[in-house]
Amino acid sequence: MAESKEEVDVLVQRVVKDISSAFKRHPNIDEIGLIQCPEARYNRSPIVLVENKLGVESWCIKFLLPYVHNKLLLYRQRKHWLDREALVDITCTLLLLNPDFTTAWNVRKELLQCGALNPERDLYLSKLALTKFPKSPETWIHRRWVLQHILDQFSSVAQTTEQPVESEHPDAERTLLLSNHLNRLIHQEMKVCSDAACRYPSNYNAWSHRIWVLQHMAKGNIKVFHDELSSVHPWVSMHVSDHSGFHYRQFLLKELITELSRSSSSASTIFGSSQHWTSTVPSSSHLANGERSLAYSPSGERFATVLQLFYQETELCSDLIETFPGHETLWSHRRHVYYLWHQWTQDQHPCGDGRESELNLLGTNDPGDTRPTCAIHEGNVDRQRHVSVPMEVDGVSLPDCDSKRLRRGILLPNHLTLQNEHIFVNSILDSCCNPEQKNFALAYKKWLDTVISAQS
Amino acid sequence: MSAQLKDVIIKPDAPSSLLLDKHADYIAAYGSKKDDYEYTLSEYLRMSGIYWGLTVMDLMDQLQRMNRQEIIDFIKACQHECGGISASIGHDPHLLYTLSAVQILCLYDSVDAIDVDKVVDYVKGLQQEDGSFAGDKWGEIDTRFSFCAVATLALLGKMDTINVGKAVEFVLSCMNFDGGFGCRPGSESHAGQIYCCTGFLSLTGQLHQLNADLLGWWLCERQLPSGGLNGRPEKLPDVCYSWWVLASLKIIGRIHWIDKDKLRRFILACQDEETGGFADRPGDMVDPFHTLFGVAGLSLLGDEQIKAVNPVLCMPEDVLQRVGLRPDLLS
Ligand SMILES: [Zn+2]
Repeated sequence: MAESKEEVDVLVQRVVKDISSAFKRHPNIDEIGLIQCPEARYNRSPIVLVENKLGVESWCIKFLLPYVHNKLLLYRQRKHWLDREALVDITCTLLLLNPDFTTAWNVRKELLQCGALNPERDLYLSKLALTKFPKSPETWIHRRWVLQHILDQFSSVAQTTEQPVESEHPDAERTLLLSNHLNRLIHQEMKVCSDAACRYPSNYNAWSHRIWVLQHMAKGNIKVFHDELSSVHPWVSMHVSDHSGFHYRQFLLKELITELSRSSSSASTIFGSSQHWTSTVPSSSHLANGERSLAYSPSGERFATVLQLFYQETELCSDLIETFPGHETLWSHRRHVYYLWHQWTQDQHPCGDGRESELNLLGTNDPGDTRPTCAIHEGNVDRQRHVSVPMEVDGVSLPDCDSKRLRRGILLPNHLTLQNEHIFVNSILDSCCNPEQKNFALAYKKWLDTVISAQS
Repeated sequence: MSAQLKDVIIKPDAPSSLLLDKHADYIAAYGSKKDDYEYTLSEYLRMSGIYWGLTVMDLMDQLQRMNRQEIIDFIKACQHECGGISASIGHDPHLLYTLSAVQILCLYDSVDAIDVDKVVDYVKGLQQEDGSFAGDKWGEIDTRFSFCAVATLALLGKMDTINVGKAVEFVLSCMNFDGGFGCRPGSESHAGQIYCCTGFLSLTGQLHQLNADLLGWWLCERQLPSGGLNGRPEKLPDVCYSWWVLASLKIIGRIHWIDKDKLRRFILACQDEETGGFADRPGDMVDPFHTLFGVAGLSLLGDEQIKAVNPVLCMPEDVLQRVGLRPDLLS
């Protein structure tokens, strides 16, 4: 094993080279890891490639890390010169070993700014770092910076595209290209976030990054938000302790409801409210498929979509609470969904306090039916009943309501009345013997009685 | 199918009394093994590491054991042309380490060792149009950085140099339906972020903007049967989150809403009887970070062997008295 300073230098330089040439020869490396191996094997590189996984044997780390660490810091203090290629290689090795070394990411930002490094390469490097360090705050921060850098480039391209009417055609092609590129980027970010969420439970940094991406790259784009809500549905159902995943749904729900609740007159400007350059880039929802965007649909349909979102979320939440008793996350989700509903109904009728009960009528759809409307009271979730219920619109002031459209297959969030929430909680309390579930149900009841009642 | 509650069991033989001497020895020895691999790995946050170590030593009245001149010289060497301070020599400046450096210099009553005007300019320059603060020139936004900015300026007596109204507006835009706060608007409530935001509102005199009962409710729900506190639903209890939750409760005047005795028992159980120091949970490896928050937590719980700690700045109260700073607390 190399021990003298000169020997260590030679060894480490070789390892740094091995890593960078591994990436050159195998552009599909998709994971990094440490191979537990306390002793060096004679004359063999500690860099091992198995399928698409890059492994570093643990014995070399104690030489490798201090070497690349000190080399970069000497460069930063202008005590040692490194050319661009060496900087790229050294920061790559350093960040794969210690991804929270902020200054190394900053060096790469400078290389990106002067064009010496392609932004896609850093999206790739940070993705790899996250396979081993899925929480690493500095890696997520760098990713956001790179994405913002790309968005700024888009923006300048879009600006130069604004030209006289004659050259309309090539511009349209260009905007289409940009829009496709944007969709690809969004898709890639969602994948990176999902992978990191799977690797570490309640991964705050991964989920707040995902929110950032939507806020900065898909603002106002109802289709993307809708797709996200569907795509994380199976994930949260399998990760019922992951509060961050459920918070993400709460975020999506809130954004969707806000967008859908805008008056129809503002619908045409929804895409104008997104990042400035998107005003010249058609929304991805137009390009991705031929369907009419929800943003342009009549207000009655949008209103019905809101009701359906609430209905589906409550159904999901009830199902999970009953199937997986004793999860604080699920009860916390229920609070949030009910709170959103409560806010929304109040926003629909800002002047009247008796109006929420008017909307509550939606739940009791058959005036002759005196049974509790909540099917859960009977011990299980009766989906059939909800599906078969036609919407009763009489007596409810839907804005510009197209009642025929509403009557077609609209599902009602008929759990979401204060009374039905109490019925739901009582049914849980009556039937359950799990002490945690009981505590959470009681806490929810108390929350309804104090927080919601105080705001009604 | 039943969920097993995410919590720890405190063994009967877990430490139940405070081992102050061991902790002081542990911290005093920590800085001396500088060639250590771990030490290299954590250099990117060295300035905060020094703040943790010195603050806990001061709380234990052992600050004189640390090398004052060496540390002040180090901080001087970490101040950059732009005024910002970096975690260590050769690293880039950042608000996180600028605050840590100013906190350390307050412990040593030597703020004048650095160029204070330049620090103020640096902090001021990071405020954005919407009132938020970037952590450094690269522009990442986080409510933590809002706290770092106002805490630094409050310690330097220069709060009036930024747009406080706008800064408050941004932090309030990160408030959630549960009364808590996340890192940015729309982000999940998180005990660490809540600590930063309540601390921020205290330093800017805006605690009345909180819904203290609602926030207090959420914070109390962080206490688990073991007595320890977690930072979000269904996470394990942790000594550092115990501090953030407890300090937030103290700031909003609701510390009596949790079971203090059980929390004290949990924190004491996180000590390592052999090496000294505190770990995140009983039986784990100790580190200076959890050692500070363990000792500070015990101080907030009223332990009289430790100096009184200020819940907003996590510094000894006598130091803040010297600085002339008295952050608001709700009663
Ligand atoms: Zn911790």
